[in-house]
Amino acid sequence: MSLWVDKHRPRDLMKLDFHTDQAVRLKSLVQQSDFPHLLVYGPSGAGKKTRIMCLLRELYGSGVERLRQETMTFTTPSNKKVEIMTVSSNYHIEVNPTDVGIHDRVVIMDLVKTVAQTHQIDSSGQREFKVVILNEVDDLTKDAQHALRRTMEKYVATCRLILIANSISRVIPAIRSRCLTIRVPAPTETEIASVLKLVCKKEGLSIPPELAMRLAKAADRNLRRALLMCEACKVQQYPFTVDQKIPEPDWQLFIRETAALILSEQTPKKLGEVRQKLYELIIHGVPPDMIFGGLLKELVRNCDMSMKCQVASHAATYEHRMRLGNKAIFHIEAFVAKFMAIYKKFVEESMGDAF
Amino acid sequence: MGDYPDPDEEYELMYADELEMLKEDEDLAETNIIIKKPLPAKRSLDFSSPIAKKPVPSTDLNHIQSTNTITTSIATESTDISLTPNLVPLEEFTPVSSKRTADELFGDIGDIDFNEIELPSKRQKTEEENDMDLIEKILEGRRLKQSLLEPSSRMLGNRSGYKAKDNLSLNIPRWAFIPLTNKDGDRVYVKLESEESWETSLDTGAEKMSLRASYSSTWAEARKILEDKQQKLISEEAASQPLPDMDADINNNMLLVDKYRPTSYLDLLSEEPVNRALLHWLHLWDKIVFKKEVKTKEPQQRTTFSKKAGQFQLTNKWKGKKEEEPEMDEDGRPHHKVALLCGPPGVGKTTLAHLLARIAGYRPVELNASDERSTEAFRNALQSATLMRSVIDAEKRPNCLILDEIDGAPLPTVELLVRWCTATATEGKKKAKQQPLKRPVIAICNDLYATSLRPLRPVALIVQVGGVSISRLSSRLALVCQREGLTVSGHVTAALAARVQGDVRAAIQVLSFIKARASRQLSMEDVENTAIGTKDCNKSIMQALQTIFTTNDKEPEAVLKTIQAAGEYDKLVDGIFENYLTARVDGRLVIAVETLAWLQLYDVISSWTQRHQNYSLYGALPLCLARCHAVLASRTPQRMKFPWQAQENYRKKVELESIVSSVLRGSSPSVCSSRAALQLDVLPLLPYLLAPQLRTANVQLCSESERKALRTCAGAMCDYGLQYVQQRTPDGLYAFVLEPPVYRVAFYGTEEKVRPPPALRQAIAREQQLEIIRRSEEMANRVPARSSTSGTQPTKSTSEKDKPSTSKEKDVPLPNHLQRLQPKVVKRNTPQVHKDFFGRIVPLSQVQRNDPVADVISSSSVFYHYQEGFNNAVRRNVRVRDLL
Repeated sequence: MSLWVDKHRPRDLMKLDFHTDQAVRLKSLVQQSDFPHLLVYGPSGAGKKTRIMCLLRELYGSGVERLRQETMTFTTPSNKKVEIMTVSSNYHIEVNPTDVGIHDRVVIMDLVKTVAQTHQIDSSGQREFKVVILNEVDDLTKDAQHALRRTMEKYVATCRLILIANSISRVIPAIRSRCLTIRVPAPTETEIASVLKLVCKKEGLSIPPELAMRLAKAADRNLRRALLMCEACKVQQYPFTVDQKIPEPDWQLFIRETAALILSEQTPKKLGEVRQKLYELIIHGVPPDMIFGGLLKELVRNCDMSMKCQVASHAATYEHRMRLGNKAIFHIEAFVAKFMAIYKKFVEESMGDAF
Repeated sequence: MGDYPDPDEEYELMYADELEMLKEDEDLAETNIIIKKPLPAKRSLDFSSPIAKKPVPSTDLNHIQSTNTITTSIATESTDISLTPNLVPLEEFTPVSSKRTADELFGDIGDIDFNEIELPSKRQKTEEENDMDLIEKILEGRRLKQSLLEPSSRMLGNRSGYKAKDNLSLNIPRWAFIPLTNKDGDRVYVKLESEESWETSLDTGAEKMSLRASYSSTWAEARKILEDKQQKLISEEAASQPLPDMDADINNNMLLVDKYRPTSYLDLLSEEPVNRALLHWLHLWDKIVFKKEVKTKEPQQRTTFSKKAGQFQLTNKWKGKKEEEPEMDEDGRPHHKVALLCGPPGVGKTTLAHLLARIAGYRPVELNASDERSTEAFRNALQSATLMRSVIDAEKRPNCLILDEIDGAPLPTVELLVRWCTATATEGKKKAKQQPLKRPVIAICNDLYATSLRPLRPVALIVQVGGVSISRLSSRLALVCQREGLTVSGHVTAALAARVQGDVRAAIQVLSFIKARASRQLSMEDVENTAIGTKDCNKSIMQALQTIFTTNDKEPEAVLKTIQAAGEYDKLVDGIFENYLTARVDGRLVIAVETLAWLQLYDVISSWTQRHQNYSLYGALPLCLARCHAVLASRTPQRMKFPWQAQENYRKKVELESIVSSVLRGSSPSVCSSRAALQLDVLPLLPYLLAPQLRTANVQLCSESERKALRTCAGAMCDYGLQYVQQRTPDGLYAFVLEPPVYRVAFYGTEEKVRPPPALRQAIAREQQLEIIRRSEEMANRVPARSSTSGTQPTKSTSEKDKPSTSKEKDVPLPNHLQRLQPKVVKRNTPQVHKDFFGRIVPLSQVQRNDPVADVISSSSVFYHYQEGFNNAVRRNVRVRDLL
């Protein structure tokens, strides 16, 4: 008995709930018992990992589901030991190289080499290659990505790479061209709603379609979040009602509060308060680009049409600078200050017109 | 030079400027008096050694000053050339002096160059060269003639006219020059005159100074007269009464710093409260050292002291406690065993410590950075200084240990010192293993907040010695000068005192340096020109912040210098970021936007620098900060906050991240998702899932759905490696706490929003333990199951030995209710096997040993758990029928 997200995860390519035509294609891809390097990308909660695990199961059988967790140690050129957690089965190994920060190059080079250089002893009835799954490839440093290029070609006989990314814009073109890119788009709201209904049916519950739709909307096209929220709903109040309260991640509420704070008053003092809130968000590990996105969404809702474009373009500029820089708080606060200035000017002008 | 392809072109190139000059010269020669100052004279001075210059009489001092001004007085002569004002303000002579040296250099090189160039070319093109020679000769002749004809106008011409010929050029000349533009837009280059030539010209023409002389030279003249007078006065005085100087022969070998070291309490330059505080503390030791009663309760002195002490002890933590705490502990020793003197270098901390120790009747024993300061050496020094007494010293004075420059000592040494002091306070009486500290210890440091001093700070009496005030220092300097026979005016000493920023040692060293140059008089420029007086401008971050946020009318450039001196731009940026909101009234947030734009630029540049390890733009970083000054500076004084937020938040972030990674590590591999998903999706919603709605009743009484919810909850906790751990709260109760504390990651402040009530927590904890057992059982079941599927041979061959495994193999297809019957079969079989050995119910224990808890749970619906302990309740027999 575990969470619905984990319990009702499809294990077979044919049992996937959406993007079924893609699933068919994937199945036919591994029918020839071989496949090229893959680069799977798509937003969080779209089912990338689920598809990959289904694919591996198709390839190797149920043995891939027998997972174990290991901690591997690598030594950097500067003699620093870095530890990284890997999840592996007999047939594959999965690792998240960004966990070690700037030392990801070492991890990639060593890990792929050790995996690739060990051939299968008994190749009868087995595939000749192992699979290495690399998570969050778009957050890899440039060094690590370049280290990947040559390795990918060199060890193609014994090892296949499956790269997972949220967006391929930060994956270098050299890697993109070496992989078969598979896009897993986020499920639509109706798809999410249907999945929710299906899961509830499996659990022996009945969910009103309106609630399913509301959940799907609140989850922001993220199936994982939708399922978790649905289960949280169930825990809080079982016989579902259409207008029951949907528990949301606290950081979403917090961003909304912050936006409300920004709109309530535009003074340096308020800016100071907003800064504390922003710090809280950053502390809690909300990525700064999500803070930008969330704030912009909330702020634009309260803007006049003429301001909307202006605000959005400023947000883009400031976010770009944030990517160039290191201290996210400066850039977010700069955006907030800029918005406050624009908004205040606008309000004052419209007040002036009124009188 | 001969490399030029075309001789004509070369000629043009080479002599273009001369030709033009000649042309111009012809025109000017008609109207103006042109006197070329004889070159040889200039040369002779050029190469005179500095020693030769020395015997220049002191009256010439002001000449040096006046020569600093560049004579650009051509304006007076050529009408069409617009000039920079020929009066260069006196204050500017530092930059000018550097120009002057350049001028000296380049003026000579230009001449030499010229000659060298001419020599080789002569061989090739004699005709042109002959022409040139002719022209030169004619010019020289004309010059001589004119100088003979009109000797009276020589001075004026010298200052104005003589340069026009070879010191003006329309092309870029080879010698040092100043470019000028006349009103027609033509550019003229004027040669810079070297110091020597200017000096000689002054010498020759001093008596003929007229109204056309520049202001600066007149000013110099005036000063010269004044100083002459003063000099005369002094020499008369010196002649009349020879200085009551101490025997100069002996003292000449001494440094002035040592010579004028204070020898009595009244000589001390440091602040009175500081002296008093230290002396008072030293007197507190009298009871233990000299066996004499200390009058601590003398009312008047106490009040004045505390009042004054308040001034400098404001920053001290224990200041508030001071009134309550006795100054003496029960042993009759002062409360603080160590005095810690801190302050900038050169203010006289060491002197103060030595002098006061001597005044209080001690023999100062110094231990400083030049001595070895390993813990061993330090312990020896401490022991010898505090427990022993010098036999050589005639007066038999007790020791007072002075630990100089303690901020450079290694941390273990300081810790030893602290132990030495505190251990005597606590253990001294009981164990007597270590003698209690019975002698005063004075530690001296520059940086109070050095990391190695951290253990010492709370136990020490901290006395901050500030810089000496300018007025006191200048009066002292005047005294020293008088004793040394140096003549000096009040404003000079004041300037020197201001320049050294309270550093007495530096000031006196400047004096001795000037004295060594054998000039009897100290003028303003000596002070200004001396480089030794200036300290390293090492500014703290807070100083730099203060500078950024306050308007500075006098020196707008000083901000940049201060920022660069402070270094640590990252801290500074944080400081600006934390303080800018309150800096100025900013209703429309224009200032905020502007400031943040600069901070953003800073951030982008600095991360680019770090990313590419390319420091070419590093110089731009302080500029970004300096720009913030332009935006933020105001006149209202404000308190700067030290930038702690960034660090504090980083610390918190790391803390929460470690929680997330511990969850990630602990969660089972099947649910292991990426970190971002865990942090953003799973963990924020997990608390809702872990708080099932249950009635507060025994779990056994729960409905089926409730039990299911509980099991789901427990399963989820197992999946993500969470656990309820019993922890003792500060008020003595035990509470179940979720470990790792995911609530802190999930929620913002309002942690308690969905935390389940304690009873439920306990239920969940229990259920989770069952779940863990169930899972391990499942695993145990799975392993034999796999072995049965993979290899069927063992099951076939071993019929009797592997009975448990075969029984389990059978179990797999069987429904649950039949499973319970199975052990009985085993039981029936096993006694038969083991009867030969024991004849007892061995197999039961064997079964239990294999899987003790799991089997009990799986085999019966009732189980109990024995909690160790006892109660004092009265025991009595109760029959069932009594209850009925």
